[in-house]
Amino acid sequence: MIGVISYLVFFATVASILSIAVLGLNLQWGNTGLFNGGVVAFFGAGAYGTLILGGTPQAGQLGGFGLPYLLALIGGMVCAGGVAWIVGLLTIRLRHDYLAIATFGVAVAFETMMRNTNALGGAQGIRGFERPLREALGAGFTYNLVFFGFVLILLIATYLFLERLIKSPFGRLLRAIREDEMAAQSLGKSPSRIRLTSFVAGSVVMGLAGGLYATFYAFISPQDVLPILTFQIWAMLIVGGAGNNKGAVMGTFLIWAAWTASGWALSRFAPLEVQLYTGSIQFVLIGFVIVGMLLWRPQGIFPERLVVSQSARSNK
Amino acid sequence: MNGLKTSALALGFAAGFASFGTDAAAQDCTTKIGAVLPTSVDWGKPIAATAQYAVDIANEAGGVAGCQMEMVLRDTQVDPKVGVDAAKALVDLDGVQLLLGAVSSGVSMPILTSVTVPAGVMQMSCCSSSTAFTRLAEEGKTNGLFYRTFATSGVQAAVGAMVARDAGYKSVAVFYKNDDWGQDIGGLVADDLKALGIDVTATIAINDGQASFRAEVTEALKGNPEAIYMALYPKEGTQVVREWISLGGSQNMIAANALKSDEFRDNVGMQFLGNFTGTDTASPRTESADAFVTAYTAKFDGPPNGPGLANSYDATMIALMAMHAAGKDATGADIAAKVASITDSNGTPVTADAAGFSMAKEVLDGGGTVSYQGATGNVQFDKNGDVSAPAVTWTFSEGGIEEQKYISLTEVNDFMASLN
Repeated sequence: MIGVISYLVFFATVASILSIAVLGLNLQWGNTGLFNGGVVAFFGAGAYGTLILGGTPQAGQLGGFGLPYLLALIGGMVCAGGVAWIVGLLTIRLRHDYLAIATFGVAVAFETMMRNTNALGGAQGIRGFERPLREALGAGFTYNLVFFGFVLILLIATYLFLERLIKSPFGRLLRAIREDEMAAQSLGKSPSRIRLTSFVAGSVVMGLAGGLYATFYAFISPQDVLPILTFQIWAMLIVGGAGNNKGAVMGTFLIWAAWTASGWALSRFAPLEVQLYTGSIQFVLIGFVIVGMLLWRPQGIFPERLVVSQSARSNK
Repeated sequence: MNGLKTSALALGFAAGFASFGTDAAAQDCTTKIGAVLPTSVDWGKPIAATAQYAVDIANEAGGVAGCQMEMVLRDTQVDPKVGVDAAKALVDLDGVQLLLGAVSSGVSMPILTSVTVPAGVMQMSCCSSSTAFTRLAEEGKTNGLFYRTFATSGVQAAVGAMVARDAGYKSVAVFYKNDDWGQDIGGLVADDLKALGIDVTATIAINDGQASFRAEVTEALKGNPEAIYMALYPKEGTQVVREWISLGGSQNMIAANALKSDEFRDNVGMQFLGNFTGTDTASPRTESADAFVTAYTAKFDGPPNGPGLANSYDATMIALMAMHAAGKDATGADIAAKVASITDSNGTPVTADAAGFSMAKEVLDGGGTVSYQGATGNVQFDKNGDVSAPAVTWTFSEGGIEEQKYISLTEVNDFMASLN
């Protein structure tokens, strides 16, 4: 029994971390219409930033500054924001598919750079610090439970922050730009500046997720920032419902549960001869879920709630 | 009446079956072990199949510590997240104390740091080659729970340095490909050369896909080395060597196995390769290795040609023998502590088949130790859970590639020990 609870805590931790990243993407795509095809670059910048700032020194590697954990985590978010700001300045005038291709390229460049820079761990990756508070809590179940609590608090905080943000006039402005940039401009708004703000804010949130991810695994390598992660995060948002934060979180839990449970179920129930092919079967099953979703419920499980304006609603 | 009779009969049968069932359960319990391997990748499937084959052999020999073994296999998809989750599920939900895997170092490492070490589960990898595991073990952070049956890049680097010493070179420049393999081996060979008192004039990274390597080659020439060492692939290797020779560099060359290609020889030209020596790790020239090839060929209708197959077999066998030695309901730490008594060079030699497994069980039950003669030879772990491998040196000739010298496992081990 304790095993099941221990695993569920572990699962919920990973899903919560990924939820934060999906919330970041929801701000960019769901609310502003920015097609970020390079989620891993910002996720990775947060992860690498956190480990470099908070890690212990290692021969031939940059970093090991040994900063207090929370400072390192914030540092990781700043790294992600910095990368997003530079990338944003260069690409933010690009629309839709062009932006997607450009940011995808950035993500691949990021992965290649990490793989080739010895000072940043090279292809072997960076081994992290001792997980914070490990001394006090031990390595086992208690630790995972406390860490889950920490992640959950951050997830709720991020959720509430984004909910407030999109209900605010700024949130309406984001949606106005998403729907019709020209119209927003005619009202005296500056779409490119707002798009950049949204892009950086969403990326900082992804950076937070990256930092938590690296802390939890105490390790990050170029293998963690392959394009598959971008694809997974997108699938979570699409299934959950773009434009709806609740959907983003639910979608993450659902897709990640499907991803892991299908592997578990196949390993348990598939006949022995099929065992070796479970990996491929799993890909097929998950592909079916995503395609089915797009065919029959393209707006996602929780569609975006369209509100004309807050004042209009309160007058009802 | 008739209905009652049938029900009574059915009840009787059910009771009979039930009692039969409990009897059977008391006799053969089942112990689970976990395997996290990239079965969704083509070369990963045979590695998993080989591990399962080893488990089947152990079961054929009567199981481990009185129980039948069941290997629960999970796919990593070569994705660290998926691999770590699978490992965690195996440890928490299936309660395994032994985990085989993973293949990629980038997957094995987070499993080690966030699952197996915190849970005290033993992890045995067939195929992760990164030196990062050695460093982690040196810092005492693996708690002695990690072993691998795949030789690190250290073997080839050491043999490269050995070639330089035997040829009497006083100074060497090192070129390495800028990826994980090249970075690893380039750094190691430089350290080994220095340990032998040979001057390393430069270590230069080669990024592939460049039009010219003139800048890199010029930099290497500045130190005027007597020889060069190359951890490069044929494509950039050809270009580097051409430019190196055209700028007047020495024809004394040593290279790692990646340059073992006819394409490289033809494109550079035999006339420049007279003083070229290559290195490679070799499969051991022992009966046990040949026996594995024969048994594998019979079982899978083909020889074990993919990467990591012999390593996967040995990883599983050694782990299962250690599990037997540790007894029923052993924890990961107990099993890990028993590995030394399986690979004790003074122990009773046992072969890597069902007969050998039975014999090992007998010896271990009697409190003795065994020396496992496996598919990769007489496996021996060092204090960090690493293994080494025999090596060969080779040269190019008009006819192709010729082996120059076979360096046995003992010689490799002794030489590597002398470097430290």
